[in-house]
Amino acid sequence: MDRPVQKPEYMERIDRLKKRVFSTRPEIDLENARILTESFRQSEGQPLVVRKAIAFRKQCMEKTITIWDDELIVGCSGSKVRGGILCADTCWSVLDDELDTISSRPYDPFYLKPEDKKAFEEEIRPYWKGRSNYEEWLAQIPEDTRVLRDNGVIYINRKAVRGWGETTAGYEWLIREGLSGIMSVIEKRRSALDLTKPGDYERDYYLKSLHIAAEGIIALARRYAVEAEKLADMETDPKRKKELLEIAGVCRRVPEHPARTFREALQSLYFYQTCIFMEQNAASYNPGRMDQYLWPYYKADLEEDRITPEEAQELLNCLWVKFSEPCLFQDAVTAEFAAGYPMFQNVCVGGVDNTGRDAVNDLSYMILQATMDVQLYQPSLSVRYNLAKNPNSFLRKVVELMSLGTGFPAFHNDEVGIRMVMNKGVPLKEAYDWNPCGCVETNLSGRMRQYTALADINLGSVVEFALLDGRNRKSGEYISARTGNPLGFKTYQDFLGAVKGQIRYITRVVVKGSHVIDEICMNRPVPALSLSFKECIQNARDYAWGGAKYNVGNGIILIGVADLINSIAAIRHIVYRTKQATMTEVLGALDKDFEGCERIHRLCLEAPKYGNDNPMVDDIAAEMFTFIADEIEKYSSKFGRMTPGILPVSGNTPFGLEVGALPSGRHAWKPLADGVSPNGGTDCNGPGAVLKSVANIPHDRFVQGTLLNMKVEPDMLSTANGITQMMALLKSMCSLGVFHVQFNVIDSKKLLAAQKNPEEYKGLLIRVAGYTAYFVELGKDVQDEIIGRTIQQSFVTG
Amino acid sequence: MTKTRQLNGTVLRIERSSIHDGQGLRTVLFLKGCPLRCIWCSTPESQNPVPEKGYAKERCRECGLCVEACPAGALSLDGESGGLQINREKCRGCFACVDKCPSGALKRYGYSMSVEQAVAEVSRDEIFFFHSGGGVTISGGEPLSQARFTAAVLRECKRLGIHTAIETCLFAPWEDVKMALPWLDVLYADIKVMDGALHKKLTGADNTLILENLRRADASPYNIEIIARVPMIPGITDTGENLSETVRFLRQVKKLKDIELLPYHRLGTDTYKHLGREYSLKGLFPPTQERIAERRRFLAKLME
Repeated sequence: MDRPVQKPEYMERIDRLKKRVFSTRPEIDLENARILTESFRQSEGQPLVVRKAIAFRKQCMEKTITIWDDELIVGCSGSKVRGGILCADTCWSVLDDELDTISSRPYDPFYLKPEDKKAFEEEIRPYWKGRSNYEEWLAQIPEDTRVLRDNGVIYINRKAVRGWGETTAGYEWLIREGLSGIMSVIEKRRSALDLTKPGDYERDYYLKSLHIAAEGIIALARRYAVEAEKLADMETDPKRKKELLEIAGVCRRVPEHPARTFREALQSLYFYQTCIFMEQNAASYNPGRMDQYLWPYYKADLEEDRITPEEAQELLNCLWVKFSEPCLFQDAVTAEFAAGYPMFQNVCVGGVDNTGRDAVNDLSYMILQATMDVQLYQPSLSVRYNLAKNPNSFLRKVVELMSLGTGFPAFHNDEVGIRMVMNKGVPLKEAYDWNPCGCVETNLSGRMRQYTALADINLGSVVEFALLDGRNRKSGEYISARTGNPLGFKTYQDFLGAVKGQIRYITRVVVKGSHVIDEICMNRPVPALSLSFKECIQNARDYAWGGAKYNVGNGIILIGVADLINSIAAIRHIVYRTKQATMTEVLGALDKDFEGCERIHRLCLEAPKYGNDNPMVDDIAAEMFTFIADEIEKYSSKFGRMTPGILPVSGNTPFGLEVGALPSGRHAWKPLADGVSPNGGTDCNGPGAVLKSVANIPHDRFVQGTLLNMKVEPDMLSTANGITQMMALLKSMCSLGVFHVQFNVIDSKKLLAAQKNPEEYKGLLIRVAGYTAYFVELGKDVQDEIIGRTIQQSFVTG
Repeated sequence: MTKTRQLNGTVLRIERSSIHDGQGLRTVLFLKGCPLRCIWCSTPESQNPVPEKGYAKERCRECGLCVEACPAGALSLDGESGGLQINREKCRGCFACVDKCPSGALKRYGYSMSVEQAVAEVSRDEIFFFHSGGGVTISGGEPLSQARFTAAVLRECKRLGIHTAIETCLFAPWEDVKMALPWLDVLYADIKVMDGALHKKLTGADNTLILENLRRADASPYNIEIIARVPMIPGITDTGENLSETVRFLRQVKKLKDIELLPYHRLGTDTYKHLGREYSLKGLFPPTQERIAERRRFLAKLME
């Protein structure tokens, strides 16, 4: 592979910027919450959305402004490099519960300074007590929803403990028109109102709130310009002085006015990005298709000789470091479900343009290069790969990035993404413009409103309830639907009916909770976000109230896909097909977590498993996930049809803690499988067979995306032939209709883990020409030899 | 057609999505049975033409279920060295013991499969073949030791538009070689060592037939590519002399596309233990990466 032997010169700056991110400890940043609180104290009596806008403007005008050394792109949502900000109005009490533990909690700790703690106790808490969205949720959560939540059957607090997110703002419009252009649209709409008409007063103050938010953003940028000028004055290094004056010039221009250059476009984008995050702390504000909407600016710069490709790359890389600065603040439980301060700012390259043709351009490659250069955890980089339209050179660059082992990019099958968005009610013409959102969800910039991942359902619990007649194994209480004593299930269909009954019940309970959250979130208007949604202005309705062009029912996420399929397959195989054991025996073994039940455990482990291209198992996958999609789509919210998705982030681990032994052979309280991936170590026929099995899930119908993690042998990503075959594998995946994949390379670390826990790595193949064996079946000395050699060369596959 | 589809072969295992056995992503059919006994063989479980069993002592819990299950009384647990004693003479090959084993210590090598089943298995990956230019590779063991089965599988695959290859030692009657050629895209021919006497010593057979088969395959009217593979056994086959001789011979092969060196490895030594056999090359170490690269350069130079 062609690797630059020498780093480009601009990487020196990038390395210094990166170092600052690395060496800074995430801290709670309460400046934002303090200003919000102060503003709310002053604006009593005004409509809520106006108060929100005024508070936002005050934040923009008063927040700490810092331009750090070496920066070319500037901006920060809070006052600290790596701050976690708190939306006091949404969920002040989350921090209240963790005041003494937040600095040291196991997942995503934040340092809380004593003076910040004091500010929280003296200013923030006293004002917000009893007024936050989270408290409304706790007061209104339906009883059955609460019971399932408290027993780890569903996770549904996510949207109550942080803001909107899960959206793609109208960046393109904002960059192109500038806030001044948007403000004139707002004013035009406002001037058409007649305040004697019912409803127009509400529209008027709503539009006013958009205007106030826009003023705030402009003021913020100007403050950065002033700061840059001040620093330039003091700067002795002429080179940096010049840079600072350039920054000042850019900040005077954007985002107030239309961007004229690539650099102005990037800065405009980033200012807005920090502002919508400042307005509502949340994950998944997705910049989306940057290679498309930034392309005109870059192209014009090149044509006018205003920029070189190296300079553009440096700017992109600077922006990439900025994306890695903010840290998502969330409560301890939510952090467990999605650990790693996950901002999920999903940037996307590739796909098709608005004529349905290849959209790949120079910027697509440069954005991939930025992630290769910077190698930080943000932005989340996604590829829309269109098998028919995108060139091999693009796919090759994608595979080269994969070979770095950073887990990026997330690879998406473009045609499936387009169909998913169409299935959300968007016509094809616009669906061409879809973008991956957050993890693997689907979105449409400046036009779509939804929570893509409102709640998670634990499919391990689903099987458990079907086998325990709705009883919770941990507590012994009956907390779910009574679907019958399994000893009375005469046929496989009887058993399957019970599983479906559980899914039916739990889906209903989730939908009820979702409706409550939708209602509470009417009190969560977001004028700064809404102002880049054209229809929010046109309809004079906030994003939160359904003002966007397309409003979609919330996402319901399934976790433990392989556990569900494998457990059903095992019961079918052992109890009903081969009759190797009775239902009584299996239930007995599950009760004891297989202790002393070796024979049954072995039968469970040896029953056919998902991920091996086995028709009996794959039939179950197709049937169950068609059923689940049908079941979820049966319901609508006031915004639209409910939407299914399969993306665990890290929720498969905490959910696993609530589920006892399963017929799949999984031991009690162990993690569930992630996404649509097979259970660890149970896929024994190589990557092709995994894709064939996974293709049996109707991906297109899980419109909030499906996530597949695959292990891959290092040769696939390190040798010339391997890279070519990886490209072929990805194309095959697209032909099969699988939506998404990302790869983990089997390295010596994983082999050591396999030596320790052979059960979890049963499928690990050792391959060289003419020879294959399963790693865990080899003796220790041979294993050691392979581990030794994997460091320099490799012959291992998932 | 129907007749050959019902023909059965003895398959050791099937490996999918391989990138090491020919172009593209391939499904590799490892057949059982080999006429040679190369001392470095990494897959000894492929040599015997009939299904057999392996026993991994380190996994055995000595539960005795297999001893009870054996109808021939071929198994016992009371030997001095501990673990299961297998009387391979008495064993009738019913594999009742393997079915009963709860720990995976007993393992079956080889099962019977019809041409139709084999082709169906290969066809499962046709989408990967389509995108990668891959296909089926029949390996072994020695695919030509089951020449009718091999030829029938190749023919059916060809008919379905699947790219075909075999990995063979070419130690087979010419009639058997000929049977496979019409349905073949690539012939991987093992040319282990050129000196006839040494060949006999290392593999148990003289190489005259092998070299003659290669010449005749080369002269055949079929549009096949030949790729020669030389196992790189340190100090034995990787000497300057042997490689020079090999290249000198292969220069006459018109269909020759490439010569590949396959570095010696010891990954199969466990299998010898499991089969109750001795591995004769115990003191031999695999070549280093540097040595492999150096030999590859040396070979490339010879081929210029």
